[in-house]
Amino acid sequence: MAPSRTKTVKNKHAGSKAVQGKHASKKPGPPDGIVKAKKIKGTPPAKTAVGKQIVKLLEKRKKNRNKTYTDEELGIPKLNKITPVGVQKPRGKKKGKVFVDDRESMTTILAMVQAEKEGQIESKIMKARQLEEIREARKLEAEKKEEEKKSKLEEVKDNLRKKRKRNKTTPKDEDNVNELTSTGTKATRPKKKVSFA
Amino acid sequence: MRPLTEDETRTVFEKIANYTGGSLKNLIAPLPNGDRFVLRIQKDRVYYVLLSIANLATSIARDKLLSVGTCLGKITKTGKFRLHITALDILASHARYKLWLKPNGEMPFLYGGHVVKAHVGRWSDDCPEHQGVVVYNMQDVPIGFGVTARSTAEAKRLAPTGIVCFRQADCGEYVRDEDNLFTSG
Repeated sequence: MAPSRTKTVKNKHAGSKAVQGKHASKKPGPPDGIVKAKKIKGTPPAKTAVGKQIVKLLEKRKKNRNKTYTDEELGIPKLNKITPVGVQKPRGKKKGKVFVDDRESMTTILAMVQAEKEGQIESKIMKARQLEEIREARKLEAEKKEEEKKSKLEEVKDNLRKKRKRNKTTPKDEDNVNELTSTGTKATRPKKKVSFA
Repeated sequence: MRPLTEDETRTVFEKIANYTGGSLKNLIAPLPNGDRFVLRIQKDRVYYVLLSIANLATSIARDKLLSVGTCLGKITKTGKFRLHITALDILASHARYKLWLKPNGEMPFLYGGHVVKAHVGRWSDDCPEHQGVVVYNMQDVPIGFGVTARSTAEAKRLAPTGIVCFRQADCGEYVRDEDNLFTSG
């Protein structure tokens, strides 16, 4: 009989594992046969309507906690403070100047400026014309008034002249008539004469 | 040397538009050879220059570059734009309102005086008050520019010694203001 030789096994677990692997390939599952209950991840605790509402409220609260309000949103009055030159530009914006070098943007700016200037010139001209009209009207009115004044003055003058004439003529006529009645037509006053011897 | 920002471009165009009419848009219109004129700022001076030349000028250091193209004027430290007499050529070619001086009024104007009514030979019709005008002599040579003191209608009633145009720049500045006109610093 051949002496039975003992097999030296270098790794006890290796063989068994290989066997297990074979088993595993055949049958999925743990080797010890104990099956753990699967954990369901991320399921809400309750599926009822009340539960949902609670979840929503919680989410809302979370959001509100993170939200920060700006001064404008809260309606806080602005302080009369001096903002330093360096702080005036908003953060996160690109530093430095933005150049205008393409033809389109330059043309746009030019067109805008021109339209503005045209409007200004037009309004200036219109204003000047209106002022000129007003001035003309005033001038005409002044002339009219002056003419009226002159005509009034002339009238008054004429009246005075007429009156004078009447005054001059009436007393003389009366005298003449009186004389005529008293002395006759040929009667004349005796003239004083001075004679030298 | 750099292109102008939007605000700078607006201020420059606003000032030029005081003197020019609708043809101003030809100022930056593309040329038949594909080139076009652009505005460049070097230190505080604004230059009107061909794009190809402006591109060539980038090879010159900023502090070494004295001038390029036509100097239109300078931007002041308060952000306003002041036209120089060197811009006269451009203004004259696009002028809206013009004023012609009699020969006896040329010298007083070129020495820095305002324009009086007695020196005016001709004047564009319907010119409003405080409007930019280009001043010519009777041979149609532009000699400066200014701002009207009175509208045409009002100027008719004015005394012969009354000022009708305030001088802004005249060709005499090439001699009088030589040092400041072309900065070398």
